[in-house]
Amino acid sequence: MGARYFGRKVFQAFLTILFVLVVNFLLFRAMPGSAERILLRNPHISQAQLEAQRERWGLNKPIIPDQLVDYVIATAQGDLGYSFQFRGQPVTEVIGGKIGPTVLLIGTGEIIALIVGLILGAYAGWRRGGPVDYGGTAVALVLYAMPSFWLGMILLIIFSTTLGLYPGHGMVTPGLGTDDPVARITDLLGHLVLPAATYALGYIGQYSLLMRSSIIEVLAEDYIQTARAKGLDETRILRSHALPNAMLPTVTLVAINFGYLWAGAITVEEVFSWPGLGTLTVDALSSRDYPVLQGIFLLLSVSVILANLVADVVYSRLDPRVRT
Amino acid sequence: MSGTTTLTASQLRAERWRLRVRGYRQFARRFGKQRAGLIGVLIVVVFALMAIVPELLVGPLEPATHPTGIPFDPPSAAHVLGTDEIGRDILNLVVHGARISLLIGFLATVITVGLGAVIGIVSGYLGGSVDTFLMRITDFFLILPTFVLALVLAPIILDTFGAGAEIFGIRMTLIAIIVVIGLTSWASTARIIRSQALSVRERAFVDRARVIGSGSGRIMIKHILPNVMSLIVANTVLVIAGSILTETTLSFIGLGDPLAPSWGTLLYFAQASGAPGSGAWWYTAAPGVSIVLVVLSFTLIGNALDDTLNPKLQVRK
Amino acid sequence: MTAVVTSRRKSALPKGADPNAPLLVVEDLKTYFKLDGKTVRAVDGISFTLRDGEALGLAGESGCGKTTTALSLVRLLPSNARIVSGSVKLFGVDLIKKGDKGLRRYRWREISIVFQGAMNALNPVRRIEEQIAEPIEVRLGATPAAALARASELLELVGIPRKRGRAYPHELSGGMRQRAMIAMALACDPAVVIGDEPTTALDVMVQAQILELLERLRRELGLSLILITHDLSVIAETCDRVLIMYAGRVAEEGSVERVFRQPRHPYTQKLLGAFPNIRSDRRSLEVIPGTPPDLSDPPAGCRFNPRCAFAMDVCRVEVPPEVTFADGVRVACHLYPPGSDGIPITRPATDGVVALAATAELPAISGDPS
Repeated sequence: MGARYFGRKVFQAFLTILFVLVVNFLLFRAMPGSAERILLRNPHISQAQLEAQRERWGLNKPIIPDQLVDYVIATAQGDLGYSFQFRGQPVTEVIGGKIGPTVLLIGTGEIIALIVGLILGAYAGWRRGGPVDYGGTAVALVLYAMPSFWLGMILLIIFSTTLGLYPGHGMVTPGLGTDDPVARITDLLGHLVLPAATYALGYIGQYSLLMRSSIIEVLAEDYIQTARAKGLDETRILRSHALPNAMLPTVTLVAINFGYLWAGAITVEEVFSWPGLGTLTVDALSSRDYPVLQGIFLLLSVSVILANLVADVVYSRLDPRVRT
Repeated sequence: MSGTTTLTASQLRAERWRLRVRGYRQFARRFGKQRAGLIGVLIVVVFALMAIVPELLVGPLEPATHPTGIPFDPPSAAHVLGTDEIGRDILNLVVHGARISLLIGFLATVITVGLGAVIGIVSGYLGGSVDTFLMRITDFFLILPTFVLALVLAPIILDTFGAGAEIFGIRMTLIAIIVVIGLTSWASTARIIRSQALSVRERAFVDRARVIGSGSGRIMIKHILPNVMSLIVANTVLVIAGSILTETTLSFIGLGDPLAPSWGTLLYFAQASGAPGSGAWWYTAAPGVSIVLVVLSFTLIGNALDDTLNPKLQVRK
Repeated sequence: MTAVVTSRRKSALPKGADPNAPLLVVEDLKTYFKLDGKTVRAVDGISFTLRDGEALGLAGESGCGKTTTALSLVRLLPSNARIVSGSVKLFGVDLIKKGDKGLRRYRWREISIVFQGAMNALNPVRRIEEQIAEPIEVRLGATPAAALARASELLELVGIPRKRGRAYPHELSGGMRQRAMIAMALACDPAVVIGDEPTTALDVMVQAQILELLERLRRELGLSLILITHDLSVIAETCDRVLIMYAGRVAEEGSVERVFRQPRHPYTQKLLGAFPNIRSDRRSLEVIPGTPPDLSDPPAGCRFNPRCAFAMDVCRVEVPPEVTFADGVRVACHLYPPGSDGIPITRPATDGVVALAATAELPAISGDPS
């Protein structure tokens, strides 16, 4: 894969991140009164004290370019400011502690969704018009129309409240009373089942629909006829010729989806009280904790941009036509 | 054909009208063949009726804030869908929700498709550096986690204008959601319209218009726009579905308006009052099922429209 | 034009094969499609024989059933098509009667196809040499290394440098892709190679190169070839025999020399007249009036009758029987009833007797029966 291609993509990603930083900054600082919010906890503050605070926080400097530059430099050094809600705690700490649980939830859910969705979709497309096809398409359409968090609530009601099979809240049982790693992992997994299933179901529909139409399109291509003329058996045709070509749009979709993964995570975490970035976002939202919101937005944007970069690279490995 | 007949202006108008009516009838026939689309239309009509004239289907509309029964009362004859944590009738709330959700969905779609179509047509027709510039912005909006952008923008807008303010009788909270959805969803519409505009631009009649000396604006409105209209229509319906879903999610995390509850806000209350954990399934089910039905219907309609207006050749294999 | 070459077969004959039978005998093949509730009679009674080392050209307008005939031989038809009747005997074994698994033995190993417009006929995400090696490995059971080695040999054979084998299809020019397809078709040393419009999508210079290649391969390997094309000049240059198809049926069939020198069927005459001839005096191109028939509702009798300048009453009612002449040419036309031996029924043609001598090379009617 061409180094020039890679280099260009990295450069574009870098530019976009820079752009995101600027937007992030302008959103919060340029908004009227936001700077004062950092300071004005006390409405009886005197003018002199106000001036002193503004001096201290560098708020009397012009917004552009001084404050902007300060912001970019500070961010590059890893300083994202301090949370309103958690008095004085650096944003990096607040966010950092919540990344792990979210990654665990999203990672598990996404992997399940990809595997199940792609297999179902490929099979439905291969056996077009069969019962799997019709049934699967109908289910996928319904799943797509369903807000994922609502699905989560329903699953919670059925499997947790009514049937009592899985816990409905949190990531671990507080006060488990044992240090046995096996027991703790089992406990964790038990808590993971419902949220991960909710998350996965939301995307299985999308992936299977896409894979299905992808396979159908590929099967109409001439090289499939060539493969049949060669006398290859159906499994081999599917595996060596159809799938590698049908996978390509899926990679693109997964990358685009990465932007929305977080949205799904936010709501699913809310429903199941999963201690991750999602619940943090909702809490920060209701308490208007702007530094934390800013930090989350930055983190999410950067990871989306990076994910797209990775997707571009992976795509170019899979499709030799884009390597120039 | 020897000789030509000339038509008077009114004959011409009548002829055009006749052709248009025939076009509509053809369309209706083809669309009618798609059962899924028809089911979608039916469901949407039911919900629209419920929202606009609730007395027709479910009875008079009570204000959304009065409790009329005991809290968490399961569905019964008195309250067909049960009650919430304060004792309000859920069916009533669902009807309120229909009005708000549909309203937000439509208005947000107007912004989304309006922005998307304009940018798509301008970008596709003018090409060159305008196109590159606009597409860079579009790509940016496509890649970015726009949902997060939306939930960051909404409180900012609210704090700037004040939550209690109203525009045209619509509360600021809702306006914020509408604007935010519109501003963050236009990108994919823009892309779709742009590629269609690109291919329309290559057609002969556009060249003819240019040779005559028509300005770009005129060409875009009189020639490009009508030819991407069918794509815009099909896309609009799907955007409505998406907008309703997005609004639901934004409301669920607390950006909704408790005084003008959409279905999403209802679910927010359900979650906040612990309904799923305490077994009050009706509280969760009613708004959710409504959302699924409406979004699914619009999706089915959108797909059926797409198949009818932009038929793809059937591949025989 | 070219001497008949005997093939040098390398591998064992399939089970049940008769080494003494003619290579390929197709008898009364009928393939119908179901489209929108109607039955399209795409191939409606085609018969021909392909001998070892021979090159047969299948000619006709688009939609006349040439490709469907070829696909019927290896049953590569779409799901709405059915072979209704007839037999396809390769080495005496009727392929029509074979089940799916039995037939698969014959695909590529005995009959292979070079498809038209190799643009999309090659998998875009796999290397050329892998695609050529694939049938060698999978169908012949070779090791991957041996298959790749053989693939490189084949590439050289068709004039592609070995190291280009690592390329992907989009990195090759149209001509090279076609060569690669030919190499792929030869991978299992098939008895018959079918070329479906192999030069149509190429420009004239490249076309000449590909034809030259096919010629060379025929000589060196003793290939038996069925060449499908609407371009008669290609057939004239490469083939021994030609079969002119019209609307799913045989119009005329015989050696290229005989058919092109003395076309008997009015359709053949028109076809040859429709081709610009550098040596002839300036004349406007002859156009065949009308359009090919709708095969779901073909004309009764001879299918060419609506467009034929010599149509008689019997043509609109009865299907003309196939008559073989002393010089080996087979014609299906009422102008040549059984027993006429080459001399058409004379009748006042609609636009003068001149019409019968449309082609400048046609000898006088009453003369030369050869």
